[in-house]
Amino acid sequence: MNLAFAQPWGLLLGLFAIIPLIKSGQKPISYSSLVLLPEDRLSFWLDLALRILASLTALLIVLGMAGPYLKEQWVDKIGSGAHIVLLVDRSSSMNENFSGTYLGGTSSESKSAIASRLLAEFVERRKQDLFAVVTFSAAPIYVLPLTQDHEAVRSAILALGGRGHGITNIAPGLAMALEHFSGKPVTGSRIVLLVSDGAARMEPEIAESLRQIFHDEQAALYWIYLRNPKGGKLTEAPKNANESTSPEYYLHQYFESLGIPYQAFEADNPKALQDAIAIVESLENRPLVYQEKLPRQDLSGRCYGAALICLLVLLAFQTLEVKAWNL
Amino acid sequence: MKIIRALVMNRPINLGWRVYSVSLAALLLAACIFKPTLTMNRPVFRYLLVIDITQSMNANDYQQEGFPTDRLGFVKASIRQALEYLPCGSEVGLGLFTTRNSQVLFEPLEICEHFPLIADVLEHIDWRMAWAADSHIARGLFTGLREAAVRGKDTRLVFFTDGQQFPPESDPPPFDGQPGAMAGIVVGVGGAQAVPIPRLDKENRPIGFWEYVDLRDYLPPSAIPTDGSRLYLTRLDEANLNHLATITGLNYHRLEKPEDLTLALLAKDLASEHRIAVDIRWTLALMALLLLLLTRFNPLKRKIPFLI
Repeated sequence: MNLAFAQPWGLLLGLFAIIPLIKSGQKPISYSSLVLLPEDRLSFWLDLALRILASLTALLIVLGMAGPYLKEQWVDKIGSGAHIVLLVDRSSSMNENFSGTYLGGTSSESKSAIASRLLAEFVERRKQDLFAVVTFSAAPIYVLPLTQDHEAVRSAILALGGRGHGITNIAPGLAMALEHFSGKPVTGSRIVLLVSDGAARMEPEIAESLRQIFHDEQAALYWIYLRNPKGGKLTEAPKNANESTSPEYYLHQYFESLGIPYQAFEADNPKALQDAIAIVESLENRPLVYQEKLPRQDLSGRCYGAALICLLVLLAFQTLEVKAWNL
Repeated sequence: MKIIRALVMNRPINLGWRVYSVSLAALLLAACIFKPTLTMNRPVFRYLLVIDITQSMNANDYQQEGFPTDRLGFVKASIRQALEYLPCGSEVGLGLFTTRNSQVLFEPLEICEHFPLIADVLEHIDWRMAWAADSHIARGLFTGLREAAVRGKDTRLVFFTDGQQFPPESDPPPFDGQPGAMAGIVVGVGGAQAVPIPRLDKENRPIGFWEYVDLRDYLPPSAIPTDGSRLYLTRLDEANLNHLATITGLNYHRLEKPEDLTLALLAKDLASEHRIAVDIRWTLALMALLLLLLTRFNPLKRKIPFLI
């Protein structure tokens, strides 16, 4: 049922609507003998109608006071958009700027602050997308489930600008990000947008199970790698490479081997990060079934309006009332 | 008709009080259509709730019908209950504390509009989200206060912890902020009786309890008992939390019953006044209703002679 009342208890006042049915309130007028008066059916019906009208007026007023409203409704719409899990690094290195200088907890130039600002703008432009937020350092943190409540998403993204702590451990973060898709129908493209400034070695078993989950959930992966300009590139194999000295290169290799839609963006300055987000945005515009919220609709005004109309009719009849046989 | 006749015949208009009463009711209802509001000051709250997720919070020392026995679970359930009683317009943000830091998950959100989401995130808070395992309570509280301060002066910090310092610290750090600059509550979680700390694996399955043997590398030799007790125990360190509350200028509340937490969060001294427009249509409508009903009783009723 879509109809609800803000103050349902107010409906109890509706019992008062019986009063106008029983009492007309008209001033009785003496007459020498009622028996002499002929029975007037029209008067009888008119009296009954006016009583019912008065009762109806009372009911409508009470109904208005109870605050009836149509609940907010979700309407299915088809547009272009995606289900996006933002998987954001909150390790302590994110407090640094792109060249690796630590800037203090509240700096607006730190990687986390810039990422937070740009992601907030990104979300702002993607009205139809559903977003979830997972942050990770040593362990993943469930910040928000997939939701269309963009105000909440914004509040979570703004909080990302704060100070991060701990090391970078991507695998459990990826697992938690993918969990957001599990058990839900695939109604549009699914994306994990990983924003991190580093990587870590992944255990082979975990790597294998993640590969399986990526396929099961039909998710795409975009990795925005916030690179120190002096750091290694994802695409160039470093000399004497091994997984502990250049985990980013190996993680990139692993992601490419997953056989899922994957793209990496290296950003070593705020502008590059902005461009990377713009590209992700242009890629993900496939048809999507999304829901739009129609806000709740207050109906008490209509009740009062209807009551007013009834009351005016009553008023008109009341001015016609005879108070004495001679005016 | 009577009015016209009165006008035509130049007589005084006497419509009777019933007509005036109903006219007034009609005016009141007509006013309702324009949605009149009254600006009023209402108490609302803006909270940053920071929850200790270190492992001592897994200790089981609550016994209350329908609530989890572990400290973290009890805290979550108590907050969940309290949220339902906060007035609309209040805002709540959630944060986690472990090691030395408080980290905010999301900025304070209006609770009525975002309730399901806030409840969902609260439900998912888990000790496994900790980015490290130590717990330096004082530092965590101080960073919590800083995080709250960044979010505006009317943001109140509510810091849930059992006060279990790990590793023990002989010299607690001094508070370098201004006592009382930020308001809020330190909520003491746990019981006065020392209980063991469950060890859980990554899937949250119990694998015994923490013992001194496991922790000897982190504990100073003086902290290791010589009487042969094996289990590393935890209890609510109320003395320390009271002290921290005093030096920072926060209230202290011991979490025993969820209802008490609700009351503590509704405390007047933590509220801030927000001007909001209150819908007054119902008061006008109620007056209209009474005026209408009034006309149905005739106070001038006389005994009528010759009534059959």
